[in-house]
Amino acid sequence: MFESLLTAVAYLLSDSANLAYLSLGVAVGLLFGIIPGLGGATAIALLLPLTFGMAPEQAIILMGGVMGAVSAGGAVTAILLNTPGTAPNAATCIDGYPLTQQGKAGLAIGAAASASAIGGIFGLFILVLVLPIARTIVLWFGPPAFFMLALLGLTSLTVSSGNMLRGLIAACIGLFIGFVGYDEIGGTARYTGGSDYLWDGFSIVPVLIGLFAIAEMMSLFVKGGSITQVGSQTSIRFTDTIQGIKATLKNYRIVVSGSVIGTLIGAVPGVGGVVASFMSYSFAAQITKENKTFGNGDIRGVIAPESANNAKDGGGLIPTLAFGVPGSAEMAIFLGVLILHGLNPGPTLLIEREDTIYVLILTLLGATILSTGFICVAAFYLVRIAYIDSSILIPSVISVSLLGAYAVQSAIGDVFAAAFFGLLGYLMIRFDYPRITLVIALVLCSLMERNYTQSMIMFQGDWTGFFQDNTAVVLLLFSVAALSISAFRALRKKKA
Amino acid sequence: MWQWLFVAGLIILSVGCSNNTEGQFPQKNISILIPYGPGGGFDTTVRVFAPYFAAQLGEGINVLPQNMPGTGGRRATASLYRADPDGYTLGLLNLPGLVLPSILGEQVDYELRQMSWIGRIESQDFLLLVRADSDIHSIEDFQAQDEITFVSIGYGATVLAAMQIVAEQLDLMSKNPIFITGYEGTTDQLMALVRGDGNATIAPISTALQYISSGNLRPLAATGENRSEVLANVPTFAELGYPDLSQLNVQRSLAGPPGMDPAVLTRLRETFSRTMEDPEFKSAAATAQMDVVPLNGAMVAAEIEASFSFYEKFKSKLSNPN
Repeated sequence: MFESLLTAVAYLLSDSANLAYLSLGVAVGLLFGIIPGLGGATAIALLLPLTFGMAPEQAIILMGGVMGAVSAGGAVTAILLNTPGTAPNAATCIDGYPLTQQGKAGLAIGAAASASAIGGIFGLFILVLVLPIARTIVLWFGPPAFFMLALLGLTSLTVSSGNMLRGLIAACIGLFIGFVGYDEIGGTARYTGGSDYLWDGFSIVPVLIGLFAIAEMMSLFVKGGSITQVGSQTSIRFTDTIQGIKATLKNYRIVVSGSVIGTLIGAVPGVGGVVASFMSYSFAAQITKENKTFGNGDIRGVIAPESANNAKDGGGLIPTLAFGVPGSAEMAIFLGVLILHGLNPGPTLLIEREDTIYVLILTLLGATILSTGFICVAAFYLVRIAYIDSSILIPSVISVSLLGAYAVQSAIGDVFAAAFFGLLGYLMIRFDYPRITLVIALVLCSLMERNYTQSMIMFQGDWTGFFQDNTAVVLLLFSVAALSISAFRALRKKKA
Repeated sequence: MWQWLFVAGLIILSVGCSNNTEGQFPQKNISILIPYGPGGGFDTTVRVFAPYFAAQLGEGINVLPQNMPGTGGRRATASLYRADPDGYTLGLLNLPGLVLPSILGEQVDYELRQMSWIGRIESQDFLLLVRADSDIHSIEDFQAQDEITFVSIGYGATVLAAMQIVAEQLDLMSKNPIFITGYEGTTDQLMALVRGDGNATIAPISTALQYISSGNLRPLAATGENRSEVLANVPTFAELGYPDLSQLNVQRSLAGPPGMDPAVLTRLRETFSRTMEDPEFKSAAATAQMDVVPLNGAMVAAEIEASFSFYEKFKSKLSNPN
């Protein structure tokens, strides 16, 4: 292991071109992460033809740079514009945006960047440790465990949303929207009205753009002025960001718990990241004392999801490296890049190309550090977005967002979907329904339904089968614990 | 008068030029529609193929891969079907994946038999796989199992249809085999088998190869007329007495819209054949682990006819198992 690690370090440092590719990847990743709608998947797909003439390792360095930087960029828009760059950044909005409205955007960005750097490094460290047993871990998760994981995700949602009834209604709307599209097991198209566009269901990017970016701009239009009225552009201090970094270090317990949750849950392909950042948030909100400020701009509410969010990238590589199963859209394209360069992602990659895998891990590490450093420095300028007048901010954000919605799969339907969800999002802001709950329910919906049906086919209709699966039982116990803690707290509050 | 002669001359010249243009296809870049998102097998095939095809078409012409994911490949196919048949819009189509929907009684917005077929790039045979640590070593062992559970991608997928046809041909239907469907891709399906969600699956040889060499899975038999070069010890279904199963495979063929000018189609078909012979293309395809088995355009059209009649024969066995 250490031999391969040293070979990889030597390779990375052997050629200045390698470092140039890393920096280029980080720059592209940050840019695509920050712009709503564009994400890692689009960036990698665009850079793919550039790698044709490169050695496989150089292609990995370029793409690793993108993947390591993109989620750090996604947190910036979550904090400044209440628009998660990627779905796992959604939890960061809950406390990040109120901080911006209070004129503390620099603090929030500093905390998010440093928490995600520490989480990212932690996740990669754990990845290196568990690589030898990666296959065993991946095999723990079958359909029953996936179903229980989705259930746990929904549980932590309900527990963490302020108004339980409105949270449940929003979650139900999310589940309903999630049912739209072709049901692969039942073999029927549901709620598509015969439209080809709806056959694949709503993809997450236009939903996020509509519910957050567009809805937020509509709300700002009604309100007028700029996002924050506290302070002015001249009052921005670089020390705000440093205060944010200090806040992360002070709340090291939350960083550690977030990183652990992120690495463990992030290893689950598909939606691991979304569940992980939410669980980390609700865990922090449940466990910490004096938790009343959560949801109204508590810095701990930024640190918790962001540390989990980057740690999940390390965890997310576990199924990819062990079995060649992509954990996310960008990972799927990355696997395509590997194939084009003659590397066959699958169970033997780990044995045959250990050094190459360490090049990837080191690149991700480098990208995490570089992107954090960049964001901390750039925060000084980025924070100005919060002071831009709405007459300039609104048209810019809306045009970029709609372009982003179109860019994902060049489908005009995505632009209309973004507009529709924009209206829905605005109504939800107006009547105070949690939009994030809707998104998470939507993301978890297909996972939950598919794995429930698969489990029931496996158990031949006998639901007690769920209790035969150890991982599923452990996850169910977590859900029960989360509900009991919140019930217990509510009871104690009543008595007091 | 001279002015009129001048204008007439210009018109004749321009007509002459435009005739000339047609003779010199292509004059501009050609797009190849990829019916799935970036990163998958179809994407890789087009991206490897495009630059070598462009080089054969002549200098200054680029061949641009264009992803158009949606409706399981049908969105891009319908878009290709409606496109201008000028030869500048082509697509890589999934066979028999696009044959199946109409067999299963769904409405589709394309007619495969009318497409202008340019040639087949890839064809992959299937393997029937079980776990390497199971006590199933042969088709007979498999048939003797009390419970048969296949793991598969969702309804409508070629591999699920293949599993249903295999189950029928191997006389397994009396055991009421279970089909756990809904896995998201071939690798997901293979991992589910390794995990033990079921006890068998069917997957393309190239995808399954790593799982076999890593000692996770064991192949029992392969489709195709001849044994695979990389798995020479695995018998074909035909050898084992199931000749119908040799026709099961998945193919990637290049096509243009219906009604293409015969001269343009001939030019594209000739260029395609030259690309398939290009040693540089062959080596790039080998690096990307593609299963290049070329077939000319006229033969692809015949292949489609055969595919329709093959699946039509098994139509009653292909209803949704869940």
